[in-house]
Amino acid sequence: MSTHAAAGAIDHHHDHTTTTGIPNKKLFMWAFLASDCMFFGALISTHLIYRLHPTPNQPDIVGLFSLELTSFSTFILLMSSLLMALAVNACQKGHVPATRKMLLGTIVFGLIFLTCQVYEFSHFVHEKGLTLSSSMFGSTFYTLTGTHGCHVAIGVLWLVLMYIRTFKPSDGSPWILKSVIHLLVFAVVTVAAIKALLGGVHALHEFGATGEALSAFVHHELPAIIATVAGLAGLVFLGRDRKAPEFGEANAIDVESMGLYWHFVDIVWIVIFTAVYLLEYL
Amino acid sequence: MSATTHTAVEADHGHHEESSKFHIFVQLAMILAVITGVEIVLIYLPLVKWLVVTTLVVLSLVKFMLVIFIFMHLKWDKLFCTILFFIGLVLAGGTVGALMAIFSAHDSIPLKAQEIYAERAASQ
Repeated sequence: MSTHAAAGAIDHHHDHTTTTGIPNKKLFMWAFLASDCMFFGALISTHLIYRLHPTPNQPDIVGLFSLELTSFSTFILLMSSLLMALAVNACQKGHVPATRKMLLGTIVFGLIFLTCQVYEFSHFVHEKGLTLSSSMFGSTFYTLTGTHGCHVAIGVLWLVLMYIRTFKPSDGSPWILKSVIHLLVFAVVTVAAIKALLGGVHALHEFGATGEALSAFVHHELPAIIATVAGLAGLVFLGRDRKAPEFGEANAIDVESMGLYWHFVDIVWIVIFTAVYLLEYL
Repeated sequence: MSATTHTAVEADHGHHEESSKFHIFVQLAMILAVITGVEIVLIYLPLVKWLVVTTLVVLSLVKFMLVIFIFMHLKWDKLFCTILFFIGLVLAGGTVGALMAIFSAHDSIPLKAQEIYAERAASQ
């Protein structure tokens, strides 16, 4: 099927087959996001209430946070939203290669955000002694930001599955096994890259920007580095577009629904960034 | 106007709209990044606390609205999607507002915490 031939033939803002004129997938997603608003509203208010009435074992919060790291995470998530919007735009025009590139970019940015969060949590637990049960602040902070992190992780998984789906061949040849392998390679690259990156950051913290840090990094993280490089090579190999894909403009609603979820994760972070982080500095 | 010409004009209009959307998205991303930068600078400025808090809340609200109306396509979608989402948003915002109002009251401070605060105040 030529995806370009049908470009512009579908009205992406109106569905004549439903009584509301809205595609059912989109309607479902908006209803789900409305309910998720209430979920996050409850978590954010719980955190703020305990900040209004801090418990006696309250840690020094300004000394705890790293504004540089959080600002970087925020910037990354905002830019991932841009890539997601561009992915939806490309899919609506039937440009499958551009959709793939934008989806990959969104996945990478989502993973960078998750890595920052893993680093932040690990730093708080091991160096600042803040755990889920050490104080009321720890409980509400980890519950709120952890729930948001779970949403991001689910979003990344969804993006990966959508990316793999874009390779489904239109001629009906078997692709399930290849897709499972593709997913496994993604999982290996993700875990190995995050482990190697965190190992690199710890080496830098311990030894500074010296040759010693580099040798410690290579010594401790060699398996993770090899797995990352091999996995990336595997992704390039699996990402070769040999057959015409079944995926095209008709799938734009699937990408758009996923995009709605991803942007929602972004807007929740916009609120968390102000309510949980920035207000602490006043 | 013939049907073919009409379709061609529609397709051209659609192409133009999609192309302009690309620029809108890129510009919006830049605006969001700038607003985030302003928020970060704002907390270090020697301004009255209520003014900074109000500005931060307004800026977050602006970012929130820009994302939902442009990135999430609410501007181009049916009004029903906006209404549906705002039902959840208003309920969530109302819950946050009500809880904050209730727990901001002096009577909401737990008795044990009141004792601790009094001891702290006495020792300072």
